[in-house]
Amino acid sequence: MDGEFIVNGERLKVSFRPAATLLDILRREGHTEVKEGCREGQCGSCVILLKGRLVNSCQVLAASAMGKEITTVKGLGSLHAPHPIQTAFVEAGAVQCGFCTPGMILASYSLLKKNQNPDEEEIRKALDGNLCRCTGYVKIVDAIKLAARRMRTDE
Amino acid sequence: MKELCWYFPSSMDEVSTLLKKRGVIPYGGGTGILKTGLNRVEGLIDLSCLPIHFFRRDNNDRYNGSSYGRIEIGATQTFAEVTEQLGQGHILGCALGKSASTPLRNRITVGGSMALFPAWSDLMGPLIALEAEVTLAGEQQGTYPITHYLTERGLRKQTLITGISFPDTTWSFQYFRHTRTHFDYPAFTISLLLKKDGEKVSDLRVVVVGCSGKYKRLHQVEESLIGRLGEEIESISVSRIPFTGKKFMSSEYLEHCAQVELERRLLALLKGEIFHG
Repeated sequence: MDGEFIVNGERLKVSFRPAATLLDILRREGHTEVKEGCREGQCGSCVILLKGRLVNSCQVLAASAMGKEITTVKGLGSLHAPHPIQTAFVEAGAVQCGFCTPGMILASYSLLKKNQNPDEEEIRKALDGNLCRCTGYVKIVDAIKLAARRMRTDE
Repeated sequence: MKELCWYFPSSMDEVSTLLKKRGVIPYGGGTGILKTGLNRVEGLIDLSCLPIHFFRRDNNDRYNGSSYGRIEIGATQTFAEVTEQLGQGHILGCALGKSASTPLRNRITVGGSMALFPAWSDLMGPLIALEAEVTLAGEQQGTYPITHYLTERGLRKQTLITGISFPDTTWSFQYFRHTRTHFDYPAFTISLLLKKDGEKVSDLRVVVVGCSGKYKRLHQVEESLIGRLGEEIESISVSRIPFTGKKFMSSEYLEHCAQVELERRLLALLKGEIFHG
């Protein structure tokens, strides 16, 4: 089947099999920042924002998302113009192997959009669908607190 | 293998016709369908354009002569949306807010979760306790008490859940999910609702989900406590709740845990303690 998606503000026209997931299509079309992990909705490596909501792209059949707005981590910032959350992750040492990082940053963005001053419990709850096997989460929580402070004060 | 067909209806009449097709099922959030597999599915009905994405709370709409209104939730509302609307101070908002994970709560729908009713459901215990009603479209169009929907399998044939509703009234509650780690499917859940008239128990609902037969409402416990003074109840006798053993938990272990937790939570609720574990 043929469909159109709006990925990071750009129209993406693709042909795909009816049972394809959004994860399959995004990666096939070069959005490899959307990581393939468990394919069961457990690890959060593949999360994206679909109409502004954080979802596991491995759990969404692409046909159901046609015409809808999709944001990947590349839609938040770039190497030369990073988002404050991306900068905070680097500065707080919240990145080790980096595989979970795109998902972590999108989960953080989704949280900070709704709650600009989250406490530790709220941060950990917002990350409950994102697994990291390297950091132990302490630096990630630090990074989100740092990003939240900067975004509040426009540092 | 035959390719899947997608249908994008915009009216309930179209849906009713599509549901008569062999192997065609509704697609809401999709998480349940992907878990059970697409092998036997020939077609999917996308529900996103149908008028079943709503949350209505009308306290002026008196229902069946009662003194309170109804909360109506459309079938494609996600767990996250319901939690945002109801908040943690309502048993359903509290339970759905603890279910699965943030990205999954943004996809799992009320209708899909009800249709599949997995043993680890965080939705069904509160709905059974609230004595919710289910509205169906299609072959068995109508509104049915939730327990009737669950026992009459014929109601699921060629039908679509369009929404649920329950009385909009205030309860004291406790919701407990038995898990090994925070991000775990609960082995069982306990939903308790309580109303007091002064110090006397005026209404009580006790539901366990995850036991043999999927759920059990403990009418005997409810009846034994209604009319008594909450503060004076020192112990509660809960009869055996049968369980089927799971991979890492025997039936005896689950029975014991359920009995202990139920007695503990119920006593705490009667004494006015709040626990949403």
